[in-house]
Amino acid sequence: MGVPVNTVGLIYLVLIGFLYLTCWRRDRRKTLRSLHAARSTLIKLLPMLVAIFGLIGLVQVFVPAAMIESLLGDSGGFLSILTAGSVGAIAIGPPLAAFPLAGSLLEAGAWPPAIATFVVSWILVGFLTLPLEIELFGLRFALARNGISFAAALLIGSLVGVVL
Amino acid sequence: MKGSGVKQKGKGVTSFLVAQWLPLMVLALYGGAFVFSPLKARQALAVSGQTFASVLLIILAVVALTGFILVWIDRSRVARLLGREGGWRALFFAALCGMLLIGPPYVIFPLLLSIRQQGARWAVIVTVLAAWAVKIQLLPLEVQFLGWPFAIARTLLTLLLAIPVGLLVEAVVERGRPTPGD
Repeated sequence: MGVPVNTVGLIYLVLIGFLYLTCWRRDRRKTLRSLHAARSTLIKLLPMLVAIFGLIGLVQVFVPAAMIESLLGDSGGFLSILTAGSVGAIAIGPPLAAFPLAGSLLEAGAWPPAIATFVVSWILVGFLTLPLEIELFGLRFALARNGISFAAALLIGSLVGVVL
Repeated sequence: MKGSGVKQKGKGVTSFLVAQWLPLMVLALYGGAFVFSPLKARQALAVSGQTFASVLLIILAVVALTGFILVWIDRSRVARLLGREGGWRALFFAALCGMLLIGPPYVIFPLLLSIRQQGARWAVIVTVLAAWAVKIQLLPLEVQFLGWPFAIARTLLTLLLAIPVGLLVEAVVERGRPTPGD
C-alpha cells in the first residue's frame, strides 16, 4: 500500500465526518446520541485494545517467526487451519481486536487460510459465551450453532485459500 | 440477584476476571518480560506503541461508524420485521440485518431471543448471527491489517455461508421434533 496509513485513516475520518454533518442537519439529537454511543464504545474497548496491541509487540519480539510458521504456516495444511480455528474459538474479545492480531500473525508467516479461519472463529464461535447461549436458547441449539459455525469457519478459511 | 453479599462479591470478581482476562494477562506477561529481559520488553512496548499509533485514526473512524449504526438502525423495528417475514425473503433480510447489527454477544443474544419470541424461525436467528461475523463496519481495519484481497474474500465467503449455516442449524435443532405448526 503506497499511501501512508494515517492518510488512509484521515480519509475515513473525513468521510465519517461528512456522514455526521449530513445527519446533523436532519436530526441533531440523534447525531449527538451517535457521538455518545461512539464515545462509550471507545471507552469500553480501550483496555482490550491496549492489551491487544501490547500483545502484538510481545509476539513480534519474543515469539520466533519459525514457531508461528510451524503452527499456522502453509506447510501444516489443514492442521494449521484447525489450530487457528481452535485458538479463535477459545479466545474471546471484541472482533475489532481480531484484525490487528491476525495481521501480526500473517506478517510472521502464518498461512492466509488459517488466519481467515482464526478471524471467523474468533467472532462466531464463543467458548466463553456458551453458558449465556445455552441459558437463552437451550443446550441443543447452542451446541448445534457453535459446532456448525466452527465447521463454517474451517470451510471459509479453506475457501479463502482457494480464492487467493 | 437474591444471593448473599459474599456470593455477589465473588461473582463480581469472577466477572471482572472473565471480562478483563486479556488486559490482565498482557500486563502479567509484560511484568515477566521486564524482569527477565528488560531490553526486549522495551522493544516490544515500542512495537506496540508504533502499531497502535499507526492505526489510531482508522480505529477512531470505525468507532464513529459503529456509534452511527447503533443509533440510526432501530433494533426493535428490525426484530419486528424479522419475526413477521418468512421464507427466502426472511433469510436474505436476516443476512442483511446481521451485517448491520452491532453489539457484544450479551446484547445480540437477548435481541435474537426476542426475535424468536416474535415468531422468527431458527434459520433466521442463526443467519443473523452468522452474518454478524461479516463486520462490514470494520472493513477499513481488516483491509489495513490483512489487505484488500483477503478482506473481500473473507467478507463475501462469510456472507455467502450465513444462510446455509442458518438452515443447517435449524435442521439439526428441529430434527425429531414436531414442527411448531402441528
